[in-house]
Amino acid sequence: MTFHQFAYRNVVRNIRIYAAFFMASFFSVFVFFIYSMLVFHPKIENGFLGTVPIFWMVIAEIILVLFSWFFIFYSMKAFLEARTREFAILLHLGMERRQLSKLVFLETIIIGTISIMFGILFGYAFSKFFFMIVREILMLDDLPLYFSWEPFVLTIAVYLSAFIFISLFSVHFAPERKIIDLMTGSKNVHVNVLYMKRKAIIGIVFIMVGYILALLTTRTTLFTFTMFIPILITIGTYYFFSDTAQFIVDRVKNKKQVYWKKSRMLPIAEQTFILKNNGKMFFVVTLVSTLAFLSVGLLAALSSYTSQYDTLNPLGLIYKGHINNPYEDEHIASIVSELEEKGLSYHLTSFTVLKQTSSTTGYGVEVFKESDVNNLLFSYGYPMVRLSQGQGMFIPYSEDAINDLSEKVVHTVLLENNVSIKIDQVYPKLIFPSSIVGLNSIIISDEDFKKLIHPYNGFPEFEPGYHLFTFDIPQWIETKEIGLPIQQKVAQEYLKDDYLLPYYFENAGLNYSYLLSAYSLFTLVGLLVAAVFLLAAGSFIYFKLHTNLDSEKRKFDVLKRMGISDGELKKLVTKYLFPQFFLPWGVALIHSLFAFIALQNILENIANISIVKELVLAFGFLIAIQVTYFYLIRWRYIAHVRD
Amino acid sequence: MSILQVRDVTKVYEGKVTNRAINQLTFDVEKGEFLAIMGPSGSGKTTLLNLISTIDKPTSGEIIFNDIKPLNLNNTELAYFRRRELGFVFQDFNLLPMLTVEENIVLPLTLDQKPVQVMEERLQSLVNRLDLKSFLYKRPNEISGGQAQRVAIARALIHEPTIILADEPTGNLDSNNSREVLELLSKINKEKQATILMVTHDPIAASYCDRVLFIKDGEFFNEIYRDDRRQTFFQRILNVLSLLGGGKVGDLSSIRLP
Repeated sequence: MTFHQFAYRNVVRNIRIYAAFFMASFFSVFVFFIYSMLVFHPKIENGFLGTVPIFWMVIAEIILVLFSWFFIFYSMKAFLEARTREFAILLHLGMERRQLSKLVFLETIIIGTISIMFGILFGYAFSKFFFMIVREILMLDDLPLYFSWEPFVLTIAVYLSAFIFISLFSVHFAPERKIIDLMTGSKNVHVNVLYMKRKAIIGIVFIMVGYILALLTTRTTLFTFTMFIPILITIGTYYFFSDTAQFIVDRVKNKKQVYWKKSRMLPIAEQTFILKNNGKMFFVVTLVSTLAFLSVGLLAALSSYTSQYDTLNPLGLIYKGHINNPYEDEHIASIVSELEEKGLSYHLTSFTVLKQTSSTTGYGVEVFKESDVNNLLFSYGYPMVRLSQGQGMFIPYSEDAINDLSEKVVHTVLLENNVSIKIDQVYPKLIFPSSIVGLNSIIISDEDFKKLIHPYNGFPEFEPGYHLFTFDIPQWIETKEIGLPIQQKVAQEYLKDDYLLPYYFENAGLNYSYLLSAYSLFTLVGLLVAAVFLLAAGSFIYFKLHTNLDSEKRKFDVLKRMGISDGELKKLVTKYLFPQFFLPWGVALIHSLFAFIALQNILENIANISIVKELVLAFGFLIAIQVTYFYLIRWRYIAHVRD
Repeated sequence: MSILQVRDVTKVYEGKVTNRAINQLTFDVEKGEFLAIMGPSGSGKTTLLNLISTIDKPTSGEIIFNDIKPLNLNNTELAYFRRRELGFVFQDFNLLPMLTVEENIVLPLTLDQKPVQVMEERLQSLVNRLDLKSFLYKRPNEISGGQAQRVAIARALIHEPTIILADEPTGNLDSNNSREVLELLSKINKEKQATILMVTHDPIAASYCDRVLFIKDGEFFNEIYRDDRRQTFFQRILNVLSLLGGGKVGDLSSIRLP
């Protein structure tokens, strides 16, 4: 038997031991390859994703490479750790260290090559499926499977070099240990647990302050807070796992009435060592999972926003200008001619909206004329409004407002012209997007509208009203290029401190295309990052368990002899595994929960959409995955320690 | 009154090579007895101990504890039986490294969900009797082998078992610690009338017992009872061992002497 044959047989005959390492490598190759297939897709170069910058996808790919290198390195380390006893025998029999590193190198190359082959094979087989999902999410017409050499070469190059470097690196730079230590195996419980009360308190305080800041975040404080919160949370989480958790466990241990009761002693005592040995890994897993949760959550939020976009923005184009806007005729004419040039059918409605002071609130109210509104409603195909003299109707500014306003009955007098109105209805659908109409907008009958001769009290400091031109366009998605020069001026003005232009223009099609491309980007980058991170976070825990399996088995052997029933053994295993799985996840979940409360606050201010439902769905899905994973590992673990 | 009856026990390991580890072995253990089982390597001592510990089942024959037949119990009942009726002392102590000495001792009681007050009372009396006070809050890796074995004995005693099963309790200890542990075991045996069954290689350890049972190739070989002096008992044990080794008197080859 030659040395090469020895390495080969080592792998082939011990395939079960190598399986974990193989699976880890296989999955990262698999994910990487599928993603590369997308990046190199010929349709991407033709710009099918609109403005999705390929730049960001490449960045994501680089992150993925770095991460999977780290990931392979980590699993390799855990794997070698688990095999110390075997290496000790070889060294004991007189193998040179150089030969040992050659052996590890050969084995890694064998496993690496097999996993690259299988990863690419499965990756190619599943990429059509992945393309179909991407096509559905991004609402593309067609995303065919293709064959080109680039993704193959890239994947092979990245991973082969990874395996070569990492196997050389991990053996050469492993600290040299005495054979006798290797023989006795890793004794992981030799250190006394130390924690500092001061750090424990810092940990919890930092996290709490971070949470409170997240709750207080508003639009104005957004930028300063987003600087501080991640730093606070990162430091806090680190100390939480290194000291605070130890501190809590120690507190529990001091209470014998709690600690010794109901066979709690063993699981609690174990937590000390789990935390001691895995504190840093828990910290990494928590951060990684938080990132994964955030990207999944953001995705869910964005998908909610895009799917609601249609109802939130019923109008294709909106032009809003002052009563004495000098550009009005010119702009409207140019928009109309552009629309006609494109052959898009539209329905133009012009509104004159007057501002008046309401006697009930003392604030301004925007008054719409019944016939103007009906003109627009007619083109929508919505039911018309019929108002008699003295009657009024609210215009809802959001979906929620429809419910709020439906109960409300207001008797008011429009002070400037002494017209009294009884408002007891609300229009049951959104007519205008919320950015256009004020919170106090009503419709009154044409007869009453004629009586509004005197302008708003605030005039001339405040505008006495505005002209509104709405274009209802059935094919609103295609209006991207309409009114581009006006849009640009508006966008420039927005960057200044005061908005001084006498007009405002909104192009729903254009906004939607921006939104859609941002959404596509997030989908592609976020889903990938989330998938890899979640996989990695789970695998880290798995490898750590795998490394300690021997000593755990010994522990359970003692316990079995002393007499624990099967049910109690399962319970002990559950109590042993549960915190390792769900403590980092739980903390990550709470972290991202607070992040999303902050996000919801901001979004509510900006766009008035609710992301709660989508988040609950997305997180429910993630929790379901984690629970499944937990039971899977628990099943394998019990099978292992039982015999 | 016998506390443990072993009746015609046979254990056959099936496999590629069938191996009869125990063959038609019969003996009794009386209450309050300190019994040693000796035999050369491969004589089936450990198999016998596993059978008595109920973690392995005999191919034929019966083992009866005080009218309880563990063979008739299901796995859960067996676990409860072991936890309440048996105490274990191992060669390599098998203390759990993440628990302190104190926690290791009360472990059998926490598994059985006894009230904390009971645990503390029993712990207190054992600590005084076995002199564990000085290292009660240390961890197993911070104490010496002799101390660790004392802790293991305390753990085997805390639930007041019917019988204590000791598997080479002095196998990993130096002579001083061995003596200490053996004296402790015989003290417990005398004072508390605890029944102890000890498997050992070591004739010195065996000489502390009331009776020594010799087995060879899984079969009963001989048994001798203790007389007044430990020295002569030791000498008689050596004589039997030399016979055990192959029939030639004076040949001690198969036995590891101290």
